[in-house]
Amino acid sequence: MTVTDYSLPELASLAGVTPRTVRYYIAQGLLPSPARVGPGARYGDAHLARLRLIKQLQGEHLPLAEIRARLATTPANDLLAYGSRSQTSPAARASESAVDYIRRALAGTPPVVSALQSNVPSASAAAPAASATAPFTSALLPSMPAPVPMSLDEPDETLPAPLTEPARSQWDRLALTPDIELHVRRPLSRPLNKKVEHLIRLARQLLEEDQP
Amino acid sequence: MTPKKIDANGSHPDSNGGTGGTFTVRPDRHYIRTTWRSNRFVLVDVTAPAAPPRPADDPNARPPANLAFVLDRSGSMAGEKIRLAKRALEEGFARLKATDRFAVVVYDHEIDVVADSQPATPENRRRALARLAEVDARGTTALAEGWLRGAEQVGLHIAERGVNRVLLLTDGLANVGITDPAELTRHAAELRARGVATSTFGVGADFDEHLLGAISDAGGGHFYFIASAAQIVDLITGEVGETLEVVAPGTTIEVTHPEDVRVESLSPYRFSASDGRTAIALGDLVSEQHLQVVLRLNFPFGELGREVAATVAVTDGDGAFAGASGGSNSVTLLWAYADDRTNDLQPRDPEVDRVVARLFAARIREEATWLNKQGHFDEARGRVEAVARRIRAYAGRDPEMRQIVADLEGERAMWAAPMSAMELKVRHFASSSMARGRDEYGRAQRRK
Repeated sequence: MTVTDYSLPELASLAGVTPRTVRYYIAQGLLPSPARVGPGARYGDAHLARLRLIKQLQGEHLPLAEIRARLATTPANDLLAYGSRSQTSPAARASESAVDYIRRALAGTPPVVSALQSNVPSASAAAPAASATAPFTSALLPSMPAPVPMSLDEPDETLPAPLTEPARSQWDRLALTPDIELHVRRPLSRPLNKKVEHLIRLARQLLEEDQP
Repeated sequence: MTPKKIDANGSHPDSNGGTGGTFTVRPDRHYIRTTWRSNRFVLVDVTAPAAPPRPADDPNARPPANLAFVLDRSGSMAGEKIRLAKRALEEGFARLKATDRFAVVVYDHEIDVVADSQPATPENRRRALARLAEVDARGTTALAEGWLRGAEQVGLHIAERGVNRVLLLTDGLANVGITDPAELTRHAAELRARGVATSTFGVGADFDEHLLGAISDAGGGHFYFIASAAQIVDLITGEVGETLEVVAPGTTIEVTHPEDVRVESLSPYRFSASDGRTAIALGDLVSEQHLQVVLRLNFPFGELGREVAATVAVTDGDGAFAGASGGSNSVTLLWAYADDRTNDLQPRDPEVDRVVARLFAARIREEATWLNKQGHFDEARGRVEAVARRIRAYAGRDPEMRQIVADLEGERAMWAAPMSAMELKVRHFASSSMARGRDEYGRAQRRK
């Protein structure tokens, strides 16, 4: 595992929250205080893991009090494991030895398949798609290297998906100052988004003196 | 330790200070769009450390190698090919020490374990070569079982801190036993996860280059195309030599990023992504090996002025990259949401653009060989044209990128007509080696 510590802005951007939110969680006792205080404060992987868990629990619409109660009963090691659970080594993921696997494969019994191929399109599902009529993409071909599951010539920028799925929308809290927030339901149409950007610029200019 | 923070506009300033491995990280652009999803590329330039100089007779001079040589002895291998394959094994053996292990499996429709996995003592090597001398070419090609029996020999004696690898040589198509490419590729990936890697050698015009390439990709090894039998000895002994020079086993690029940013490896390495961490498996790196890996990050839209961070780290099983980047093994990059005009006018890093263009060209050529072989001529040409257009859109006046575009455009007619098996193999091998940072013979590239 990488030995890393983070500044407040780094921690916040890695977890997908604002620095203000981090400070709020610390004040609320949801996150431990950093190793040092002040502008040089450093946070670790445990903070990141905990922040991500809080985000997930919030996604389940749990009130903060309930989240605090759950965090209090989760051992620190489990928390860290939550933040890094994709870090298991290949050997740890494999549930049986290479020799057992080979013997089962040669005996014709389907071997236990580990979860390591998360980015690799399922080979068996892909086989029919590689027929002469199917449109070609590298992701569909078992005999191609598995790497990038999208077309190579995809443009640099793509428009957001059309707003047909209300379930996918979310409220973003944009902090204009530590005391004033703007709530925006995303995604927004492009023209509307431009106006919101304009509004944020104007508001920040207006409120600049109050920024920390 | 503190991650080295850098502006996403510049390259990481630290370079090789000591004897450890090093890496640098460069983004192509700094700004991302507020109202569109943005793709941005990151070039990770990795150099493995030099193997420490040690006396040749020191048995601990390097990690042990645990190898199995699997040879095709089907009828088509008769004559020069089988004779040279045997000589390649003889020369490969000569590089092993008593602390290494080897096994030899030959296969046609039957599987013959000529030598069980055993320590590479002079006596054992002599005995195995004597038995191998009696092997003649005959029969059909039970490639899967031959390969898996070789992997079994390696698997019986896994060297925890060593290199465990099967070297599979064939000149034909799997036509007995498991022949489904998807299944064989899956087995290669599963064996790799269990500690056994596979490298493949295809001889002549009649093997399936896409299958052998996919097995070595999934198997964490290397693929070699042997156009003429005369190269058999050099390429097999070269691969044996690489297994003896591994300094950074299981090298992995780890990217930590917000969960709504999608990270992929555009370079053809396997990667897995979950919970805001993406791991790209580069395999075992040899002394002073140099790799350029391109990542693609897909950012969601976001509010103007907000910054997004991603941390890139390089790790391996031997700690060769600990402290690779100014005392840490990670580098944090920042991107900022900006309006469309700022995005349109922002500078690009031309060096990253060139590497990306070379990689796009190599990967589309590799795909085009497959399409052409399947008879999808128009599609092969169309996809090559699309990538040429895509590179042209950002090539500007850069001579190298314009040359890449011109080369791709010049090949349009070629991809649109049937090509010979040999020509397809030559082009497939050239592009697949290039995309994987290997030289024209499929060998690792070293820091000059």
